[in-house]
Amino acid sequence: MWSLAYGLIALAVVAFVVLYAAAHTPNLTSVNLADQLYGAKKWLAGNLPSFPKVELTSRFRVFVNVVRVAKANATAYDYRARQWVAFPVYLPVGYRLERAGENVVYQIYLNVTRCRYTALPRGEPAMLYEIELRHSLDPLPWLEVYAAVPHNLTQYYSLLYNYYTAWRGPPAVGLTPRVGADDDLVELVKAEWAAVYNATSGTAKLYVAAPAAALYILLVDYPLKLPLTCPEQIASTSS
Amino acid sequence: MIALRDILIFAGLAALAAAVIASLFPAGEGVSPVPACSDCAFKLTSGYWIRQYGNYAALYLGTREVARYGWAYNITEGRPLRIGENATCDTAMYLWVFGGVAYVSCDGSPPKIGRDVLGPRLPFINIRISGDWIRGCTRTLTFEANLTESYLATVEVYDEEGREVFSGTTTMPGSVSFTIPVAGTYRMRISVPPLLDEWYTVIAQVRIKDLVRAQVFTSNNTQDLRPSTSLKIFDLTNYWKKGYRSVTVHVNPAGASFTLSAPADFFADFLLAWEDCPNCDNADGPMYVDEVWRLTITQTDFIFTRIHSSGGYWHEVYVWYPQGINLPGIKTLIWTWNKEGPKRDSYTVRWFVTTVWLESQDSAMNARATFVREC
Repeated sequence: MWSLAYGLIALAVVAFVVLYAAAHTPNLTSVNLADQLYGAKKWLAGNLPSFPKVELTSRFRVFVNVVRVAKANATAYDYRARQWVAFPVYLPVGYRLERAGENVVYQIYLNVTRCRYTALPRGEPAMLYEIELRHSLDPLPWLEVYAAVPHNLTQYYSLLYNYYTAWRGPPAVGLTPRVGADDDLVELVKAEWAAVYNATSGTAKLYVAAPAAALYILLVDYPLKLPLTCPEQIASTSS
Repeated sequence: MIALRDILIFAGLAALAAAVIASLFPAGEGVSPVPACSDCAFKLTSGYWIRQYGNYAALYLGTREVARYGWAYNITEGRPLRIGENATCDTAMYLWVFGGVAYVSCDGSPPKIGRDVLGPRLPFINIRISGDWIRGCTRTLTFEANLTESYLATVEVYDEEGREVFSGTTTMPGSVSFTIPVAGTYRMRISVPPLLDEWYTVIAQVRIKDLVRAQVFTSNNTQDLRPSTSLKIFDLTNYWKKGYRSVTVHVNPAGASFTLSAPADFFADFLLAWEDCPNCDNADGPMYVDEVWRLTITQTDFIFTRIHSSGGYWHEVYVWYPQGINLPGIKTLIWTWNKEGPKRDSYTVRWFVTTVWLESQDSAMNARATFVREC
């Protein structure tokens, strides 16, 4: 009987040692920041078409996950009525986006501040965009800029006009019904771009030279794709 | 029985020996060391602490250094450690390592990599105002919001006299719809206390466009305006809004008049007085009474009612009838005078736009006007 008691006590001691050691082992998990970043951007890309579109700059300054738009009139050919029709469209000109992963905060701020016609050194006419760029992660991720040149502007606006008649609200150029839905109507060409960081004001400006015929430019922070337009240009090509 | 007892004794003695040997180790030393890693997270229990030096931060277990990092950052306080500063936790220390920098938290709240570049973030409310012209004159306010609490949005609409014509509430996100009863200018107040209080102007009107030999008046006009004007359009909407029971409109120099009583249901109301010939009636003759029609516009309809017809020429009255959205309408003959053809005293167009044509033998007096209900 006594030896059984000794045995039980010894077992208890062993159990304590084992549990104590297990509790005090450093508990290691690996964290994949790249995955979190990808997830955040993918979420933003998926929800981009449904984000509110604001026209007032005062609202754009304080809201998050919004698209700043300018309203413009576009002209489309109504194939059923066999006549030209004018309808309103939204032109995306800025983004304030935020999505946090578990350990990473992804924020991007884009705002078209100016755009004007210019000539490239080779003499081709181009549209120069000046875009305010702020990014939450210091090493700016791989950025690509494309210019979307429509094969046929009338066809493009007729597509948007279909959405306009279906939804009874202005569609957004490049965003309706989702980014990349106009694949077969536009050709994405590489645009020339340069990011200029101003250390004094702490702001970065992105300068993009797109072909003059481009409908919008597409900033790609893979997998997030953000179309940006120049309101003056649309007004001049569609009227 | 004996075998089990012997095994138990043996196991007990072995365990005792193991416990004694384990107790001889330096106090609190863990079973396995902290591996040097990046992009990883640890939970460290008891006896671990971090000290920041001038060029690195060291993680200690008791007095033994187990790992070195570039710098240490205290998540709870939201700042990097100062040189010579320690970070300790009572029960467990949570440690994240990203890019050689160690982030320390005692409550397990994870660090967030990335600066804030967006600045202020108000709870957002976006208001979209859309109008529907086709099926009545309705406005819809859609409130979009990302609020965590529930706020009530109130919409109040006042007419020109300051009377409240609509009041509605919604919780955000949500929408409020109201019908503008009568053409006019309205003030709309949108309030979401304490976040927002804004005033908007809402205009609902009947736009009269594409006028051919026609002119719009808001009171009597007895002038002879031929040949430039053969159709006089009298806008009676404001009289009905003011509460008049009936209105008498004088249309020509001879003093011919038409008395109309207030319509039961109206968005806008017009009297159309038309003259069929450029020079046959002199100053005291029956001018602008050859075709007299009333156009009452309601939320859904354009109702044409014939009041009076006279004159020796033949007349034709046409109304544009819609076929559907994006389709061309049909120019429909609804009334003829002094000739064979349809005789409709009343005609209704269920649409938001229509055109009326008044034509006679002498095409020099043909008149046209298009009415659009705009909201």
